[in-house]
Amino acid sequence: MSSLKPEKGMQYWRSLDELAQTPEFQEAVQREFPNDEWDRLPPATRRQFLKVMGASFAFAGLTSCRWPKEEIVPFASRPDGRVPGVPEQYATAMEIGGSAIGLLVTSVDGRPIKNEGNPLHPDSLGALPATAQADILQLYDPDRSQRLVYRQSGQEFVKSWDDFAAWTGENIAGTGAGVAVLAEPSSSPSVARLRARFAEVMPDGSWYEYQPISRDAERAGITIAYGRPLRVHAHLDHAEVIACFDADPFFDHPAAIPMSRQFAESRQPSTQGISRLWVAEPAFTITGGRADHRQAVAGSAIPRLLAKLARELVANHNLALSEQAANLEPAFGPVSSEGDAFVTGLAVDLMSHRGSGVILVGPSQAPEVHALAAVLNQALGGVGNTVSYTEASDPERPSHMQAIADLAASVASGEIETLLILGGNPVYDAPADLGFTDLLAKVPNTVHLGLYEDETSQRCSWHLPRAHSLEAWGDGRAWDGTLTLQQPLIEPLYGGRTVAEVVAAVLAESTSNGYDIVRETVAPVFDGGDFEKSWERSLHDGVVKGTAQPLVAVELDGSGLAGAGAPLAELVAAAEPTAERPELVLTADRKVYDGRWANNAWQQELPDAITKTTWDNVLQVAPPTARDLGLSEGDVVEISAAGSSVELPVSLVPGQAAGTLTASLGYGRTAAGTVGNSVGSDVYRLRTTSSPWLVPEVDLRATGRNTILANTQDHFAIDAIGFGARNSRISTLVREVSIDRYLADPEVIHHMDHHPPLVSLWKDKQYEGEQWGMAIDLNACNGCNACVVACQAENNVPVVGREQVINQREMHWLRIDRYFKTEPGVGPLDVDDAEIAFQPMTCIQCENAPCEQVCPVAATQHTEDGINAMVYNRCIGTRYCSNNCPVKVRRFNFFNYHKNLEEVEKLQFNPEVTVRSRGVMEKCTYCVQRIQNVRIAARNDNRPLRDGEIVPACAQTCPTRAIAFGDLNDPASEVSRLREDNRAYATLVELNIRPRTQYLARLTNKVGGGKSSGRAPAHHGEDPTHGKETG
Amino acid sequence: MTEDKSNDIFTFPKWTWVLRPGVAVAAVGGLVYASVVIYLGFSPKATDVGYMPTQPVPYSHALHVGQLGMDCRYCHTGVEQTARATIPPTQTCMNCHSKVRANSEKLIPVRESYATGMPVPWIRVHDLPDYVYFDHSAHVRRGVGCVSCHGRIDTMEVVFQAEPLSMGWCLECHRSPEKHLRPAEFVTKLDWVPEEDQLALGSRLRETNNINPPTDCNTCHR
Repeated sequence: MSSLKPEKGMQYWRSLDELAQTPEFQEAVQREFPNDEWDRLPPATRRQFLKVMGASFAFAGLTSCRWPKEEIVPFASRPDGRVPGVPEQYATAMEIGGSAIGLLVTSVDGRPIKNEGNPLHPDSLGALPATAQADILQLYDPDRSQRLVYRQSGQEFVKSWDDFAAWTGENIAGTGAGVAVLAEPSSSPSVARLRARFAEVMPDGSWYEYQPISRDAERAGITIAYGRPLRVHAHLDHAEVIACFDADPFFDHPAAIPMSRQFAESRQPSTQGISRLWVAEPAFTITGGRADHRQAVAGSAIPRLLAKLARELVANHNLALSEQAANLEPAFGPVSSEGDAFVTGLAVDLMSHRGSGVILVGPSQAPEVHALAAVLNQALGGVGNTVSYTEASDPERPSHMQAIADLAASVASGEIETLLILGGNPVYDAPADLGFTDLLAKVPNTVHLGLYEDETSQRCSWHLPRAHSLEAWGDGRAWDGTLTLQQPLIEPLYGGRTVAEVVAAVLAESTSNGYDIVRETVAPVFDGGDFEKSWERSLHDGVVKGTAQPLVAVELDGSGLAGAGAPLAELVAAAEPTAERPELVLTADRKVYDGRWANNAWQQELPDAITKTTWDNVLQVAPPTARDLGLSEGDVVEISAAGSSVELPVSLVPGQAAGTLTASLGYGRTAAGTVGNSVGSDVYRLRTTSSPWLVPEVDLRATGRNTILANTQDHFAIDAIGFGARNSRISTLVREVSIDRYLADPEVIHHMDHHPPLVSLWKDKQYEGEQWGMAIDLNACNGCNACVVACQAENNVPVVGREQVINQREMHWLRIDRYFKTEPGVGPLDVDDAEIAFQPMTCIQCENAPCEQVCPVAATQHTEDGINAMVYNRCIGTRYCSNNCPVKVRRFNFFNYHKNLEEVEKLQFNPEVTVRSRGVMEKCTYCVQRIQNVRIAARNDNRPLRDGEIVPACAQTCPTRAIAFGDLNDPASEVSRLREDNRAYATLVELNIRPRTQYLARLTNKVGGGKSSGRAPAHHGEDPTHGKETG
Repeated sequence: MTEDKSNDIFTFPKWTWVLRPGVAVAAVGGLVYASVVIYLGFSPKATDVGYMPTQPVPYSHALHVGQLGMDCRYCHTGVEQTARATIPPTQTCMNCHSKVRANSEKLIPVRESYATGMPVPWIRVHDLPDYVYFDHSAHVRRGVGCVSCHGRIDTMEVVFQAEPLSMGWCLECHRSPEKHLRPAEFVTKLDWVPEEDQLALGSRLRETNNINPPTDCNTCHR
């Protein structure tokens, strides 16, 4: 029997505190409920105690023997087909960043309660990102504006829409001289049609389009390369090599869902190998987390990196660039890729996969960088296969930055008398150098249409309440151009109106209600045939079939590229930022985007995918840079640039490029609402028209203050058995292996843990009938957090607030554990770069559940179909179950988090799930309400359940379809098939808990293989029970 | 040695000592009595059975169901499809009462509701706690008669709760459904009696229709 020396795997840790084993960390890990001290209660004297107890005894006697009477109020006339209490789904859409994503919204008793994706929509494919899931809370936000307001000489008047119509009739008339409209970009054909009407009716008026988070750099780059602004489409299902330069296609893109799903599918193990992802970026992104090879590079050094790649390809691999690109070559002539393993490796990969490689560049890079990438894609033969182009819908439009600058110039010169701001929040998010707030004061008449009385509304003469996307008739286009229809799920709660309706009213059009406007827009699309039938069909589907934009054949534009040579050379020669003169990278926030969701409690409480921070925005600093500057976690620093300064707390994040700092936009709002006000710091103040994304050479000054960040990365650390032992256990929790290793030895995942034969104290139970199980594929999961918010929406999970998150009391039933991975031996003070692994963790429904064994009142029991049931009304709150849970997925209601909710907020609750009060434990139930409803329906019809009929909320929304759920006793079900997969494993098997949720290991695809997570097995010889996973 | 008599005021006088056994008996007895009273008094049998609230409209099931022979499902339409039986909308009443007794005084609230669109505010009789999720269709479709839980509605002038509807009471049937099952076509026949022995019939129906009512907690508590 030979025995191989076990190879040491990577070390896994979640925070630098954990790696350093600081005393604070040790203490936090020791205590199940940290900060659970009684010092909050005032000292109770005997007299007070008796008073309290006496009062409750008295009231006990007074409680009536029956609960208060309840009324049933049926309709007077029930709408046809409507059955009270039965949820229905309607297709609609919402726009994010000027592109529409299709929704299927669940509505019960006439009110929408849950957003889900529309399977027929190309940008949704049935899934939704976290932001779209959370958006339903905006509909019921009590801080939403509920009235029209007119401000004059310091006084506020509440007005009506008729008053506004009368006012526009007086003040906005004629040919529109002095009238300007500032609108958000929209793919809506109705808005486009009305905009054309505006140009017709008011030719002297002007229309500007602006949004702070813009993809215009890509548009400008493509214009340089191809002579006109085309839209870029990446087809990752055909890509074997994907290179991202400061790009985040799996998250920060309108077509993120199809792209991340295509990528997940391309990672399924096959003997032909799997795709390989190369990422170069300044800060970790969702895409960077999935990378096989990642290089942390400053944003301003990306052009040089891409130039190095170009040079490597041209000089050392004889890649022939098209002759139109000849003028670009001098720009990357001087750089050398010697010693840069990332570039040399990527070049080899791209050349060996001619035609199936693609280079993507992010929207924060200069247009010339995009142009270079387009040239390289063309030379590598990817055009038409991995990347293709469609015509832009309005090629004449100036860039957003240009538009807002032009508007600012017009206002400054006094040309504008009336400014209509339709949506958006320019006072908050316009570039700081324009001084938009002061400019607005110069315009005599200002009108703002907004969902909230926000920063802009408060400075405008008129505030108009906007209809939420769930209250509105509208339309839009997906990224590929598919026409998407939007229908309201509920009448506008506060009489709000859409952009299209307001423009139509201002222009005094004959049709000015949304329904008629959309029908008018859509009529020409259904050429011929029965309009009503096509209309009904399209409303039902949510999309109009066959309206995707056709792909266009493209040819590089020599003249455009000729002009790009010099700017590119300048970018390539940019100096590398240093710790003394660091560069600030501004990003759209993964949770609140540009600030529009700042008042959304779910988004604020959601731990950011990479930093795991809640209720704050931080300044991400690379650990070595922080060490150079003497900064530690939570230190508040002052950043100054462009004449403004902002204070931010520091967070040390591995994987951040040295000399760069990253901060996300969207925080520090002053008029967001009760949830969003004063959360985080406003970084828009550092943003200028010349440097919207990369702010060079900022000044950093430590203020000497330190703040505690509400960060969940160290929460629920698994017991205090010492870092070494815990580390080896974590590496078996999150299992990864390189594809080459896996293909050579498919059993490698199963061999990653060793435990003695497992014996149970209890009799083995036979499970008959339906047995529910789940499989989570870590190879598909990219940590995007959509499942966390979906679960919160479906199960009425409360929000606890910043203070309680610090106390480790966040209530998310599902959490995504994020681990950083470093080579063994790297100490906390040496951490520079790291890789990332994600693991969604929720109640894994153990068959031998440790929690069930210790509940004194049997409030948690195992059901016949294998679910660990939680009975809220029986729970008395001893919390022994949570104490015993090895994966720490149980959540306790320390307070009545629903006590102070407004009536309108309660409308969002799912009536199928109990709303929990103080003192009860809760946890994932595999969405038992969905299981029950489907099962009852099937039994009523006397038919068997179909696989895939029951979909828990998390599985339903996952963009990459990482979560599978079904009947384990059905050998044909997907989840049974996945459990038999060689990559399947259970967590903490050695505890004999036999979980129903299993994970599938992640496959990495580094060049030349790479380290796997666990130790390689020492060869044991033949043992039939060896490696067999139970449960 | 002189005795310290300062604490004598805290000592009961000697003549009360004979009462000590009585006090003990009273204390224990009182505890037992209080427990029994509370247990019986607060049980659903005492608090819920017989609850007969006054409704805004004096709708008589005895007349409509008993005398006129209307089926339960004419008004309670959701009972076979969904969790809730659903109280009928005013429209359903007006189907007949736009012509029948069109000027009756008792029907003023109904006509008013139909005219204004405001609902008739019925008082719920069979009220389960909010943490209980009961599904009508699962029971009605599988052969549990309306009368098993709601009693002889067809004899009630004013509806009252006939059964305790407590968890223990529900579990009794869930544990042995053969005591209450009937062929699905007789579910709304409130006066139906089985031709053969109920247990034999129930067991057979159970077998044929594969009826296995779950007793897991999350069947109802979610």
